Amino acid sequence: MPLRLPFLGSIHGKMTRCTIHVRRRTSRITICHIRTMAEQDDLAQSLEAHRKYLLRYAQFHLRDASLAEDAVQDTMIAALAQRERFEGRSQLRTWLTGILKHKIIDLTRSQSRALPADTISLAEDGAPAEGAFNAQGKWVDPPAGWGMPDAALESAQFWRVYQECCQRMSKRDALVFSMREVMGMSSDDICKKIEITTTNLHVILFRARLSLRSCMSKNWFGTHTP
Amino acid sequence: MSKLMYSCEQAAKLSSQAMEQPLTATERVLLGMHLMMCKRCTNFAQQIEFLRRASRKIPEVLEKDAS
Repeated sequence: MPLRLPFLGSIHGKMTRCTIHVRRRTSRITICHIRTMAEQDDLAQSLEAHRKYLLRYAQFHLRDASLAEDAVQDTMIAALAQRERFEGRSQLRTWLTGILKHKIIDLTRSQSRALPADTISLAEDGAPAEGAFNAQGKWVDPPAGWGMPDAALESAQFWRVYQECCQRMSKRDALVFSMREVMGMSSDDICKKIEITTTNLHVILFRARLSLRSCMSKNWFGTHTP
Repeated sequence: MSKLMYSCEQAAKLSSQAMEQPLTATERVLLGMHLMMCKRCTNFAQQIEFLRRASRKIPEVLEKDAS
């Protein structure tokens, strides 16, 4: 059980009542809930409405419930601290997701540093295609047609398979792929943000696409082609 | 360019790269020639484009899950 310690603090000169949430397992201290006195603060309450979505978003990318929760907490705190930067309530979710993306990238980066195997697989001259081709550059398992794949986008089961296939990539590959394809960041921004070369980026994306395509072919289109 | 024909591996790699930055004129021609003759690589190129369309929908899908 987390330990909750109420205390009084102030953000931008406003009196707030906060709860400190101590996780014994990680010894990390995160502020769990920030409320202004008398709960007058609309923003803090609106934030709560987006928590579930943000958690799913974080969980999708981080694949770890506890890390995802930390990322969302950090996002909430950052949102409250930077509230003056937010204009127009209608895009609150977009704004929050933008903050969360940075938290996710930072968390994955710090994790990847602890995993040297991930960096080794970045070697540019290695076999980025991981057995997809033979020595003559021919397909080992040639891509068969998928028919009309767009119909699958309506199926909940398709998305479960998609998410499972994403998890088969290394964390680093999955993050780079997500930054490009899910978050829609530009190639240049990704290279700057995670400090890789354009060549590295292309190698990672190629490897990620080969892996996802092959996994979807085996686990969805192989069995669901109309 | 000593080799005029791309292997499937080269063609697939360039199809992926073309989603990131424009190819050179030579690359475009050689890739086009390969794809005209190779159904497998054409499937690959179309499928990774489809996966891009699908991936962009992930936030929408998560939103549905969360509501």
